[in-house]
Amino acid sequence: MEAFQYLAQGLGVALEPLNLLFAFFGCLAGTLVGVLPGIGPISGVALLIPVAAMATSSLPVEQAATASIILLAGVYYGAMYGGSTTAILINTPGENSSVCTTLDGYQMAKQGRAGVALAICAIGSFVAGIISCIGLVFLAVPLAEFALKFGPAGQFSLMILGLCALSSLAGKSIIKAFMMTTFGLMLSMVGVDPISGVARMTFNYSELYSGLEFLTLAVGMFALGEVFKTILTNDYVEGEAIKVGSIIPTKKDLKDSAMPILRGSLLGFFQGLIPGCGATLSSFMVYTFEKKLSKNKENFGKGAIEGVAAPEAGNNGASGGAMIPLLTLGIPGTGTTAVLMGALIMFNITPGPLLFQDHPQVAWGLIASMLVGNFMLLVLNLPLVKVFAKVIETPPKYLIPGIVAISVFGVYAVQGSVFNLFLMIGSGIAAYYLAKNDYPIAPIVLSLILGPMIENNLRRAMNLYNGDYTMFVKDPISLIFLIIALLWVAVPQIMKLRGKKVLVEEG
Amino acid sequence: MVNTFDRYASVVFAAIGIAVFMYIQNIEIATAGSTIGPKELPAFLSVVLIILSLANLYTAIKSKKPAKQEKLEYKKFFIIFVALVLYAILIEPLGYVISTFLFLLVGFQTMEKGEYLKSALIAAAFAGGIYYLYVEIALGVLPPLPF
Repeated sequence: MEAFQYLAQGLGVALEPLNLLFAFFGCLAGTLVGVLPGIGPISGVALLIPVAAMATSSLPVEQAATASIILLAGVYYGAMYGGSTTAILINTPGENSSVCTTLDGYQMAKQGRAGVALAICAIGSFVAGIISCIGLVFLAVPLAEFALKFGPAGQFSLMILGLCALSSLAGKSIIKAFMMTTFGLMLSMVGVDPISGVARMTFNYSELYSGLEFLTLAVGMFALGEVFKTILTNDYVEGEAIKVGSIIPTKKDLKDSAMPILRGSLLGFFQGLIPGCGATLSSFMVYTFEKKLSKNKENFGKGAIEGVAAPEAGNNGASGGAMIPLLTLGIPGTGTTAVLMGALIMFNITPGPLLFQDHPQVAWGLIASMLVGNFMLLVLNLPLVKVFAKVIETPPKYLIPGIVAISVFGVYAVQGSVFNLFLMIGSGIAAYYLAKNDYPIAPIVLSLILGPMIENNLRRAMNLYNGDYTMFVKDPISLIFLIIALLWVAVPQIMKLRGKKVLVEEG
Repeated sequence: MVNTFDRYASVVFAAIGIAVFMYIQNIEIATAGSTIGPKELPAFLSVVLIILSLANLYTAIKSKKPAKQEKLEYKKFFIIFVALVLYAILIEPLGYVISTFLFLLVGFQTMEKGEYLKSALIAAAFAGGIYYLYVEIALGVLPPLPF
């Protein structure tokens, strides 16, 4: 089996002491990020980009990229897990994808079974992580090879599909979501045009020649925007954490949660594959699905262990699944994967079909490290759960200014300019007001990353076809993508018009 | 009170669209050999943004949803915001350690008064710790002490 050969190679990379250390640090930092109120996975990953860049600055490029992305991916799935700890112990989801976990998790905690709920979460996350990793191993190469067959028109339409998918599910109003997408695309065009060398929208300001820095905007919009919101709304997490108690689940607990975990993982994984369906949506869907399936529905919401196991498996499965379109097609389906993609691009590695050919070390190292990382999380989390429960009680007095200071450090250390600090502050304020009024932020960041590639493919395609725009409909692959994109936008709208409730992915 | 943010935002984004559209027309470039140059996509996007903004404005005017009434902590936010701006201005002249220490101290005290010594110790440890790790160990560059 070819896939196993690659995986073995990847394991060789992932098990190098340095990468192992980075995976460990990433998982640990991620869990902390998930546990701490006020920073979610997106801002956690954005804030740790400079740390990763700093720690790998002395390594050769490819190695630095591998180590950094291993660390950042660790933060991503670590945060997914960490969020559930707060959901169970203080009834406050650490991030949106743990909202479902609060429903039954907190009830279990009140019944004195917090430890068991946490253990089931850890096991569910672990199983889902492993399942999505296996899926990644088998799907990655065939998908990447298939994607290589796309012409520029196909690639252009694929990116349009990615944008439409994320935007149509990104907020309450589709007009607002697309406004943000368009605005993000325009922001991505600030700077010197790489093809013609013309400066666009720079207003003769030399800081803008290289374009708006992705990291600055991501940290500003996600980390600072969130902090501003917390300060303004006085939205601090309160309440004592419930005592953890015994973490050893009974045989019955394990038996009750085995199938929900398996179903949740698979469902989550396949949903994660679809751009726009992030962890939040999948955890909701998995929860509803499990509730429908269950023989004792009335237990749900009152501390049913299935209600903890399934959504946790679902959201971790989805975050693993979301790596597939990112790595093989170069289409990030969620806000967090968009930030991961931005980080890869910062290291001069472009995710997409060529990744597996050009940088197999990075691609397979990352995939294998997800396996290793999931083991680590399991080993790390169960014994340390009481420590993490203490972290929840970090007073906001120190936490909030601390996050701001880390944001400033991160942006200044990487960009080295005060201009970028002001840009960060400005985008933080803008993000707060936009998000408050239901203008989603994730599409801006996604279009900022995809913008240059979209334009590049558009221009390549137009040169190839002598400016014949109808090629986008004549090329069969491109046509299929455009039709899917159109349906993606239209179907939820039609459902809304018919009075159905449409779940949206927030954050 | 009606939610006015949507109206203002729509007007602002429409204005951005118009400004970009006009600005992009001023780019002079020979697009010899290529059918699509650096102007087309931004121009197209600005038109799309204008249309979307107008659509949003229309929905905003039609909607009668009242604004969310929230009590916001403007004072706290304002102090931290000003401190942050000063931090950005002073980071180069004062150096990383001093400016960070000051910002954190102000930040901690704004969030909650009291525990001065503890605040100062944490702020100093953070500023000094990051500087030491980044500059001495990782050999990065941060603005040094001014003296």
